[in-house]
Amino acid sequence: MTSRRGFLAGLLASGLAPQASWADLGAPAFLSAARAPDGRYLLAGLSYQGDIRFTCPLPGRGHAAAAHPNRPEAIAFARRPGRFAEVIDCLSGATLAQLQPPASHHFYGHGCFTPDGKRLFTTENDFENSRGVIGVWQVGASYQRIGSFSSGGIGPHDLMLRQTDSSVALVVANGGIETHPDSGRAKLNIPDMRPNLSLLSLDGTMQDQMQLGSDLRMNSIRHLALAADGTIGFAMQWQGDQGSDLPIVGLYSPGNAPRLMAQEDPRLRHLNGYGGSLAFADQGRQIAVTSPRGGVVQVMNTGNGTIVNEHPLTDVCGLATTDKGLVASTGTGQLISIATGQARRLQSHGLAWDNHLIPLI
Amino acid sequence: MPSFVFWKAFDVKNYILILTTLASLTAAPLQASMVDEVLDDQILPGMQTLAEMSDDLAQTSQTACQAGDARLQNAFGAAFDAWIRVSHLRFGPTETNNRAFALSFWPDSRGKIPKTLAATLSREDTSLLPPEAFAQTSIAGRGFYALEYLLFDPVLTAEPETPFKCQLIQAVSQDIALTSAAIQADWEQTYANQMREADGRYSDESEVKQELFKSLNTGLQMLSDMRLGRPLGSFDAPRPKRAEAWRSGRSQHHIVLALQSLHPLAVALADGDQPLIDALDAAFEKPITRALRLDDPSLAGVADPAKRFRIEALQQEIRDLKLLVESDLGPSLGVQAGFNSLDGD
Repeated sequence: MTSRRGFLAGLLASGLAPQASWADLGAPAFLSAARAPDGRYLLAGLSYQGDIRFTCPLPGRGHAAAAHPNRPEAIAFARRPGRFAEVIDCLSGATLAQLQPPASHHFYGHGCFTPDGKRLFTTENDFENSRGVIGVWQVGASYQRIGSFSSGGIGPHDLMLRQTDSSVALVVANGGIETHPDSGRAKLNIPDMRPNLSLLSLDGTMQDQMQLGSDLRMNSIRHLALAADGTIGFAMQWQGDQGSDLPIVGLYSPGNAPRLMAQEDPRLRHLNGYGGSLAFADQGRQIAVTSPRGGVVQVMNTGNGTIVNEHPLTDVCGLATTDKGLVASTGTGQLISIATGQARRLQSHGLAWDNHLIPLI
Repeated sequence: MPSFVFWKAFDVKNYILILTTLASLTAAPLQASMVDEVLDDQILPGMQTLAEMSDDLAQTSQTACQAGDARLQNAFGAAFDAWIRVSHLRFGPTETNNRAFALSFWPDSRGKIPKTLAATLSREDTSLLPPEAFAQTSIAGRGFYALEYLLFDPVLTAEPETPFKCQLIQAVSQDIALTSAAIQADWEQTYANQMREADGRYSDESEVKQELFKSLNTGLQMLSDMRLGRPLGSFDAPRPKRAEAWRSGRSQHHIVLALQSLHPLAVALADGDQPLIDALDAAFEKPITRALRLDDPSLAGVADPAKRFRIEALQQEIRDLKLLVESDLGPSLGVQAGFNSLDGD
């Protein structure tokens, strides 16, 4: 693998090869940030079976990543309030560029490309103005910041590109929580936070915005999943009193009221008020959520909103859809397949997998 | 409000007895494996007591179904005690068919228990009361906390007793007995062996130990965040009516019971490591002694600045205990502080 990689990198450097692709890396299925036992941080590419296809070093703790749709390049985002977003050549492990947000911004940890790979969008905190921002980058031989616009709320975290027959929009999870790097990750506005889900056109025009009722205004909307039919899944993190019965997962299709999942099932308590990642499965008939705080994955039926299965998994957080079901990753190094009601260990690596498993397009 | 003076005296004696037993156990060389010890000395007897006391409650309710009847209240207290002593063991048999929730719907942040019971009492639909039908009704109207409401809610008990309420009390008691019996049967017949064998549900012994560690940790978290944290609220906004089982004055008592059953579990998990056992003994003794001396059965003191600080101190001691368990006991069982669970994003 290494020699082939070195060989390919050499070819690329000499300009002899045509454009490299993800296939040159053994067609990894997911990206995930991790911490190695020696305390160093890295980004890894993983196969569907949980084999590590490549690793690249990171300068600090990562969070999520965005994969270029065709070039084997990944943007590895720092854990907030970090300021790094490294453009990594996953063939050589080399850092091709470092994206710098404007001076009074920091990244929130998520980003996404347009399907043609020509634009990158990043969630950012304009912390001097306590304003959520989407940074826009032009992707060519290099990455150039070409602008930014309001995210439609405070504390944008996850974002995804939603394409339907008639429209293209950025879906932004505005978590509603104000932070400032001077006070680290301290939450500054819990009493009057107001999260939302915003759909923005690619030039930043607000197309649609969804807010839940005021009884749920302390339920921070943080992570997203998209079904093939355009349904948006969202996972929340409760900031109010512990021991409350709360929805953690919801579904939203613009034009319809949001649907909150499993509201009457006491097993929601097993999530400890915290959804870490979510993903659709079974052609959109199921949605699953991880909770590292509850040490559990719950699989829910999108049709009737019930919990279908739950799987206890220590420190689980990353979650992604596969053709067979789901793959989950844990801070204890495990990669777990979840399909037909069964959780099965695929691999165990000596790495602590960080929050998210990012599927490659 | 019932008096628990007798219980408290019993608790102190019982606690000293447990300490003595633990000391003699740890002085002798350990023969049985840690997992066997936890199963045979703690889990299986605990589940058996739960099943027996719950059965006794159901039997008693057949002849004593008036809320104020001391026989019924005592049987309720004994069965509830038995549940609290094993309520940290939230895996396997308790999770099948939501049995643990059917026994203990708490905390009830949205007041579903009073709402459900008020609806049931006003409808007086006796077709819901036979065991199979009752098991299909809302979890909020079942279990110990619903029964506590029926027996001790000051408004409800001021109303005249009705035949339907008597039947409902019998149905809830019977349902508790059936649920407890199902939990115990699963433990006896399959689950204990699955933990001993550790080659199916658990792939090896370390996974079994981690499961036990998780219940210890969850039990401590429940104490600090729920049993104490919820009524404490904040200094400016204490929430005494959020205390667990405040109507029957069992809030303080449950804290003592939970600590007393977590203590031997922690000691067993320390697996003969004497310095660690000594540290755990000391760290449990502090909050147990304080909880026993609190003299505040329903934790109403959270709203009294003169008493509140003692409850806060108890919460702090339990947090310290939890930190000790995580830092000194967890790593020896292969449990590290959560990379993701502590991150939060």
